[in-house]
Amino acid sequence: MELCIQSDLMEKLAILTDAAKYDVACTSSGVDRAGRGHGMGNALAPGICHSFAGDGRCISLLKILMTNHCIYNCAYCQNNCNNDLPRATFTPDEICTLVTQFYRRNYIEGLFLSSGIVDSPDRTMELLFQTLYLLRRRYDFNGYIHVKAIPGSSPQLLEYTGYLADRMSINLELPTAEGLRTLAPCKNRKTILRPMRQIQNGIQAGALLESHELSAPSSHSLSAAVRFAGIDPRQKRFVPAGQSTQMIIGATPENDYQIMKVTESLYDRFALKRVFFSTFVNLTGDDTLPAPAATPALLREHRLYQADWLLRYYHFRADELLDETRPDFNVYLDPKCDWALRHLELFPVEINRAAYQTLLRVPGIGYLSARRIVAARRTGLLDFEDLKKIGVVLKRALYFITCKGRMMYPVRIEEDYITRQLLTDKTQIPKEIRHAGYEQLSLFDTAFLGINQAV
Amino acid sequence: MYTYICENSIDGILTGVYDAYADRYPRNEIHLQAHEPDNLSLFTQYLPVKADHEKAVKVARTLKSRFGQEFYETIYQAAMSGEVKGKSTIDKADAIYGTISLALACGDGTKTLLSLGEPCVYRVFELCRATGKEAMHLLGFVRFQELENGILFSSIHPKHHVLPILGEHFSDRLPEENFMIYDETRQIAVLHPAHKSFFLADTDNLDVAQTKHFSAEEAHFQSLWITFFRNITIEARKNAGLQSQMIPKRFQRDVLEFQAS
Repeated sequence: MELCIQSDLMEKLAILTDAAKYDVACTSSGVDRAGRGHGMGNALAPGICHSFAGDGRCISLLKILMTNHCIYNCAYCQNNCNNDLPRATFTPDEICTLVTQFYRRNYIEGLFLSSGIVDSPDRTMELLFQTLYLLRRRYDFNGYIHVKAIPGSSPQLLEYTGYLADRMSINLELPTAEGLRTLAPCKNRKTILRPMRQIQNGIQAGALLESHELSAPSSHSLSAAVRFAGIDPRQKRFVPAGQSTQMIIGATPENDYQIMKVTESLYDRFALKRVFFSTFVNLTGDDTLPAPAATPALLREHRLYQADWLLRYYHFRADELLDETRPDFNVYLDPKCDWALRHLELFPVEINRAAYQTLLRVPGIGYLSARRIVAARRTGLLDFEDLKKIGVVLKRALYFITCKGRMMYPVRIEEDYITRQLLTDKTQIPKEIRHAGYEQLSLFDTAFLGINQAV
Repeated sequence: MYTYICENSIDGILTGVYDAYADRYPRNEIHLQAHEPDNLSLFTQYLPVKADHEKAVKVARTLKSRFGQEFYETIYQAAMSGEVKGKSTIDKADAIYGTISLALACGDGTKTLLSLGEPCVYRVFELCRATGKEAMHLLGFVRFQELENGILFSSIHPKHHVLPILGEHFSDRLPEENFMIYDETRQIAVLHPAHKSFFLADTDNLDVAQTKHFSAEEAHFQSLWITFFRNITIEARKNAGLQSQMIPKRFQRDVLEFQAS
């Protein structure tokens, strides 16, 4: 009997892991929380990676679905109700056992819980809430929890759940409302954006409360949460690690420019912590969708993430990187190099004088290096040797900088010349991706770059 | 020249610093070494230093009060590095001594740590970063196995002496557990009895056979974890190169899911 239960759990875990793996986010970052001396768990702001899967992605959280039964028929999703595949459902207790037993063996940093839609959005959200409540209360678990908010569920349920989770996310699914209409007829943009706004407001209200150090929760909604779940907002913050979202890239014909504009407005208008991109893999065999390629378009995804970092950490705007006339990222050069080559009039910059914001825009200088430069030059003038120690990638940066008024080598500040030099830098296309099938492209196929056409 | 030969430990090195200052030889004639000299040089007096906890504590207290906690932690973390000497690099103890004397000369610890142009400061920076990086990795890669008696046991082979960092992290995280992390390279372990604070101990008396008797449930959860680990991979994106770039081979030997396959 015991054996039967065990193998049953094993099978469920296999099915519901498989069903969850196309969700991208597995980060455990954004919140610093010490242990409490009982139960188990704490959290570190940078997050911790516990393992790396066969595809090289970080495993930080136990990423599972509550159930892969679903009443929706989204065309891109393998859990689509028209799809014939084994289905399973965890009980809340099973999930809690897995999380706590994995956590104390240090396999994981916490839980990532999503779900197919059972019966209705409200019923599904209720199940997620119950699981989190059990995990936090009965199992005394203080580790990281990332939970999906189900579009279309009631605002109260969302709020109760938000006090138990560290991060919440609602998938945007597809970059445009148009794409959503064709591929996910059961979902619409409004039911996705409304809870996103609610979570944003909840986070901001929480921050406000905290800054005033109110001893008792004053707003009506807070006390409702207290009554219902016995949650004390003085001790437990609402979604402290912020919210994120993800969209599927390549299932619909949007270009990179449209995707970056959507990403930017999500950061601006919804104060998201992260926007994730998921390269489309055709799992349902639906022939109205792009066929499975030999290798998914990993390089495109890589460029989008590079640009995403430029938005979040480097003060770039989407309109600077791309526009209507150049709607897609350069395959051969990273977005920052590409931008710098089109703005050679701004370079070279003097390392010992340039403002932090200017340093951020130099290819080969990351935000950590920029910070170190600003700190280190207070004590003395910096030279190329010092930059190397600080961590600047000189093979990229040397065309764009001077130290004490001198460039590292005599360099022609000329787009053609620098482009050719930068292209000899193999890391422009990361090794993993080169090996995954991009090698056949010649790095010197300059016609593609439009260099010669400009002459 | 005067070369102080210290024990390779935080107490040993800080005692060396203490003695070097107490003896009042000219600053530029003093060197510290955290390893036995493999080659004696002429006109050098070799002074063995006996690690003295009280002297080390005095130095540590001075560093903390004059230059702040961060400065001390950098020095401490550098001292825990397993790289004592390289072919062309400065000896660990000498780099630490050099950095401390620079800080004492200019009176500003933060400023000193930023002058990466100074070879000894840069060396301390490198050592500290290497230790910190490995510790950060191991916070994730440590795997506990539940023994028959309920103790969570883990064995690791780190390059650097990271046990104090791991001990602090895990005793905050798992206050109700009895756990033990065994550094097989150094033959020491960090032990944490439930609801008490952790401590380091050498493992002369460790009964290795006992660490192989697992609890009844252990195999079950191990295979559940391996099931999860296998199923989370997206086959269409399979990339073994990236995987071992992210979790280097030297860690894989102690990580459960990499032994099963």
